[in-house]
Amino acid sequence: MIRWGVVMTVVAACVGYLVYSASGGSAEYYLTVSELRAQQPASGVVRVAGVVQPDVQRTDGGLHVRFTEKDTTSSVMVDYTGALPDIFRPGITVVAEGRLGPDGVFHASTLLAKCPSRFSTSTYTQ
Amino acid sequence: MILAFLGSGALLAGLVMAVFSVLLSFWAGWSENRVMIQVGRRAFYATAAMILFASVLLETALLTHDFSLAYVTEHSDLSTPIALVAAAFYGGQEGSLLYWALILGLLGSASLLASAKLGLRQAAYAAGTMAAILSFFLVVLVLVASPFNLLQITPPDGLGLNPVLRDGGMLIHPPVVLAGFASFAIPFSFAAAALLAGRSDAAWIAHTRRFALVAWGLQSTGLVLGMWWAYHVLGWGGYWGWDPVENVALMPWLATTAYLHSSQVQERRGRLRGWNFGLVILAFLLVVFGTFIVRSGIVPSVHTFAVSAIGPWFLGFLGACLLFSVGLLALRAGGLKSHGEPAPAVSREGAFALQNVLLIGVVAVVMWGTILPLVSGMVGQERVVGAGYYEKAAGPLFAAILALMAAGPLVPWRRAGGPLWRSLRWPAAAFLIVLGVLFAAGVRSVPPLIGIPLAVAVASTVLYEYVRGAGRWRNAGGGRRRAVGLLARRRRRYGAYLAHLGLAVVVLGLAASHFWQQEKDVTLAPGQQVSVAGYTLTYAGSESRELADHTELVAAMKLGSQTLEPARATYAGLGGQSLTHVAISSSPIADVYVVLAGTNGDGSASFRVFVNPLVSWIWAGGAIIILGVVLGNAGALRSAAEPVGVRVPSPVGAS
Repeated sequence: MIRWGVVMTVVAACVGYLVYSASGGSAEYYLTVSELRAQQPASGVVRVAGVVQPDVQRTDGGLHVRFTEKDTTSSVMVDYTGALPDIFRPGITVVAEGRLGPDGVFHASTLLAKCPSRFSTSTYTQ
Repeated sequence: MILAFLGSGALLAGLVMAVFSVLLSFWAGWSENRVMIQVGRRAFYATAAMILFASVLLETALLTHDFSLAYVTEHSDLSTPIALVAAAFYGGQEGSLLYWALILGLLGSASLLASAKLGLRQAAYAAGTMAAILSFFLVVLVLVASPFNLLQITPPDGLGLNPVLRDGGMLIHPPVVLAGFASFAIPFSFAAAALLAGRSDAAWIAHTRRFALVAWGLQSTGLVLGMWWAYHVLGWGGYWGWDPVENVALMPWLATTAYLHSSQVQERRGRLRGWNFGLVILAFLLVVFGTFIVRSGIVPSVHTFAVSAIGPWFLGFLGACLLFSVGLLALRAGGLKSHGEPAPAVSREGAFALQNVLLIGVVAVVMWGTILPLVSGMVGQERVVGAGYYEKAAGPLFAAILALMAAGPLVPWRRAGGPLWRSLRWPAAAFLIVLGVLFAAGVRSVPPLIGIPLAVAVASTVLYEYVRGAGRWRNAGGGRRRAVGLLARRRRRYGAYLAHLGLAVVVLGLAASHFWQQEKDVTLAPGQQVSVAGYTLTYAGSESRELADHTELVAAMKLGSQTLEPARATYAGLGGQSLTHVAISSSPIADVYVVLAGTNGDGSASFRVFVNPLVSWIWAGGAIIILGVVLGNAGALRSAAEPVGVRVPSPVGAS
């Protein structure tokens, strides 16, 4: 017959192990630009949230982009190659995933834009 | 203007009715006052009618462009196509809450109309619980997020809809997901009513079986539609990103999947009583939790929602539901002991139990990933996990669930009578053959070598069951009438197997497109070619088109005799926001998915090209799942307690 408790314990232990081993390797720090600046030299892959500034330079048909990401106090130059999110443009909040290079530029491997929060345009004209 | 007053009035009247229904239903149920129970129930119907009236008013305001309402101004404009204006009803925060209350009111009324068989007290408590949930929504709608707020000055035009959302997907995905969310409250209310009334028999399960299936079916549809929409619109070549907003839709679905299986154990074997209550309560709590997460913006998500005052309200509601549920379970814990005979480990009920624990394990994994930023933010630096975490942690659990799906249906109830390996030989053979073929084809990565053969094994188990069914029909003399009779009598079972088959097809699509996706970033001059995974695309040139409110840059890519036209639209009115139009050439084998990144001064253009194998299988599999749910449950209600024969002649008794 089923030892209900034994099954539960074994599966719970497996889940615990899986969560532990998987999150150990891939949990990333989620920082604001100031926090990134504060812990320089940062190592490893982190995610940095900030607002795109108007100095966006696009090259290579839009597949390569450089811009300044800024929060209330600090800013960082972000370099990214790849297709940009549709709503990417100055003024929106993006989350860049990557690492800060020794050149002080944040090399992003992924760029996520915050989706439209509502079905209006008011959030885009701020 | 008058519309707004009527709408606010309807919501307020609905709230009064709902609170009245709560008080009366609980009091009358407790004292078993037949007349007052009826009155409490009618108050619930009246609430639903008030919500329906308010909904009609809001929809009228939208369709007549009544910009004196803040909600209409903020979520539509004169240029938006009329279907999308209508969709703005559930598009914004306030409207979506009203839509939620509407679905709960209507489905709740339907569930109460059919609740006569449940007994007075239980039906009354269910009405009271549903009315209490509805009261919460109405309080929020009246006090915090009214869709009927007026603007001081009526603007000539509204603000309109973001172009990303000006899409047909907007018409189907959000209403289905929201309706799915709302419908989880019904099984919860009847479970709570059974606990309150001190009943632990399966009557509440039989009564809410269809509503649980409606919730599950809507949520399945919503998840697949969401993936389809993201895939066709967003242009990143994928369909699932493990974003918190996606996760909170997945978790109640997982819990309900577990419940749909474990409830059979209670109906047939009288076991898992407490567990079933727990699962239904968990599914509902996960819905409330998800709504709180999504609406409060408390965890970092790609989807930010309008920051509004309703976050704390939902947190309070979540706390209240949690306290109520845990208290209720603790109060009745003594009466929830299983009365059935103990189950052997290798039996259908054993397989269901293991599957349940594994599914809850997946819920735990997803939950941890979702709340990690919250938890880590409290103790130190905020941390997040990406897709890699979910794949590593949930992947092995999903593989174990697939293995159970392949074996479980072939294992009889109670105990494995005959030699088990005989019934398992077909899925085992299918697994080994596919494994061998993949290995011979040069696949060495472990996840696809496990996932794909397992999915085929699941499909082979279903096909084996259908072949056996056909054999039974032949042995009984054949004939169309008998076939229809056989299918109709066992439609719950064959419908469920169809859903299994659909899931196997979905898994094959997910696995192939995930493990073997190819992508290439390329810049091409007109006439140049690019080759990805054997598909050769030739860039023919691009042109710019001026349209009413935006300009469109369209590139032409030749793929054999087809011309794909990926485009970028730029909306000047929205500060130059651009919008990708992905071009997809879809076939059962693979999708060629082309995104135009932009053009350069020298006439060249940059593209990102994906080749996604078997993506269309995901959509097809989703359709098969829904077909299984509908076919398996169409027609008249029948008694859920199908008696199990004392002797089980074949390895598969009845489902």
